[in-house]
Amino acid sequence: MAEFAIEVSDLAFSYGATRAVDGVSFAAAEGEIIGLLGPNGAGKSTTIKMLTGQLPPERGSIRILGKDMPVDREDIQSRMGVCFEEKNLYANMSGVENLRFFGRLFGIKDVDTDGLLERVGLPDRGGDRVATYSKGMRQRLMMARVLLNHPDVLFLDEPTDGLDPVSSRAIRSIIQEEAARGATVVLTTHDMMEADVLSDRVAFINEGRILAIDTPENLKLAHGRRSVRIRSRNGPQVNETIVALDDEDASERIRAAVAKSDLLTIHTEEATLEDVFVEFAGRGLQ
Amino acid sequence: MKLEVIGTIVAKDLREFSRDRFYVVITIVGLLFYVLIFWVLPDTVDETIELGIVQSGMGQAFEQVADQGVSITAFASDQDLRAAIERGTGGISVGLSFPDDFPRSVAAGSPTTVTVYVTGDVPPEIRSSLSAIVTELGFLAAGRQPLVTAPAETEIVLGLDRAGDQVSLRERMRPLFAFFVLMIEMMALATLIASEVQSRTVTAVLVTPARVTDFLAAKGIAGTLLAFAQAVVLMAAIQSLGNQPLALLLALLLGAIMVTGLGLIAGSIGRDFISIVFWSMLFLIPLLIPAIASMFPGTAAAWIRAIPSFPLVDIIVQITTFDTGFGALGGQFAALAGWCAVAFLAGWWVLRRRVVAL
Repeated sequence: MAEFAIEVSDLAFSYGATRAVDGVSFAAAEGEIIGLLGPNGAGKSTTIKMLTGQLPPERGSIRILGKDMPVDREDIQSRMGVCFEEKNLYANMSGVENLRFFGRLFGIKDVDTDGLLERVGLPDRGGDRVATYSKGMRQRLMMARVLLNHPDVLFLDEPTDGLDPVSSRAIRSIIQEEAARGATVVLTTHDMMEADVLSDRVAFINEGRILAIDTPENLKLAHGRRSVRIRSRNGPQVNETIVALDDEDASERIRAAVAKSDLLTIHTEEATLEDVFVEFAGRGLQ
Repeated sequence: MKLEVIGTIVAKDLREFSRDRFYVVITIVGLLFYVLIFWVLPDTVDETIELGIVQSGMGQAFEQVADQGVSITAFASDQDLRAAIERGTGGISVGLSFPDDFPRSVAAGSPTTVTVYVTGDVPPEIRSSLSAIVTELGFLAAGRQPLVTAPAETEIVLGLDRAGDQVSLRERMRPLFAFFVLMIEMMALATLIASEVQSRTVTAVLVTPARVTDFLAAKGIAGTLLAFAQAVVLMAAIQSLGNQPLALLLALLLGAIMVTGLGLIAGSIGRDFISIVFWSMLFLIPLLIPAIASMFPGTAAAWIRAIPSFPLVDIIVQITTFDTGFGALGGQFAALAGWCAVAFLAGWWVLRRRVVAL
């Protein structure tokens, strides 16, 4: 196994005159979840397409599991799983038939369809045609397809986009299990909550460039505000006070607020990833 | 290319086809319909001329022509004959009205006039043959032989002798039916491909160890299999594999590859059923022309020979109707193979561009 499961250097791609990806570089270690966070059109999906061999890079290099993409594409693809933003399943085939078909493309003759469907929460629907599945069920089946070949690298493009909370939670759980197993996960999202919860590191991507890459915590601490919001009752009214943690008297003010019987709530005011993204990109994630 | 991967995709495509109710129904109903129509159509051509006559005093003379492909119905008067032709009574479309003094006049060498009635759809060759009949009857009525003796002739028939056994409508429909089957399967393949492109399932396939060439080869094989198998079933059901079966099967295979190439193009361009039908028709209507022309022997203009489907139609006609051997059809097979290669390579190229650009 290479030192990094994924090494990307100076990646670039254009659609005609439009530069979609412009000098993207990052590396991901074995078992690491790295989130590419950015608004629609930022270049996340194009980056994933180059990493998965769907698009040849105009410039730059990609090394995955110690092999060069696209030179060793076939070797790399046999060890990776890809979840697309589109629910690209064969709707006239059942869930089991879809899994068996893709399994055979990987050279797997006896796909453990029961185990896979159980794992993604579809134990009883494997025999039904995908056309009858809800959006969440299709996404779960997509995750089952990702896991078919026990991949060492997972590329997940907006894996929970538009899903209900239950399906989103199930898919996030699978992603974390795969990372715990040692698989490297690259996921794209424009959902800062998802990136925050799932990612070991987050790369902010905008207009084809990575603006910053670090752990969510570091990003929030380095670029957010360290403060506490205190809400207390004052007769019929509610007072709200923000205490900056860097102020000299911060400890006293907080202690005093907590000691009072009219305290309602006290919350930390750390920045969200979106706040940090806005600071970097000058725009929001939507 | 990996044969196992190709086989997996082909099997998947055939499974998907079998689940497309529209194409399954249209394929089965189409096959049954073509076979039914074929067997319902007449297998002989009735060339007997239904002739009505007003024939005072000419009974014996008409008995001599009655067994020469002419069926005669006698009428009492000129008005009756004319009314029968106008109404189409008994299929009578031509009539001869001889004057009462016809035998006497021709025997005496006096001028006389025979009125010939024809409907508007009687072809010119029948009209002119009526003149010959009148002349012959004139000699018979006068009790004389024709003035000249016909010269002796030797007839050498090249190929199957169809004299007295004209090519029936049933036989003339064969290429059209075969083409209809190929056409439906071309649209079925185009629909499969368009669905795969639009739903992006092809991108899911291409991030596995399957290559673009595997995918393209599988589509080509699946399309050819579908079209060829059904063309063979049709030909077997209408008992058209009796003459030169290997040559006919080869022609059908090449035809199936040709329409598969066109299906690859239509599937790459089309986005939904309507656009697939539009693009398919754009290709198929010109290609149908030779099959339609073959229903009217002798009417095909020279430019029809330049249409890519002409060699296929001509081979089917030559083999099934005239039992022409493979050797005599070498040129047509070469032309068909050439068009087949052009269509398939064009389809391959267009679909490849479409898939790679996704």
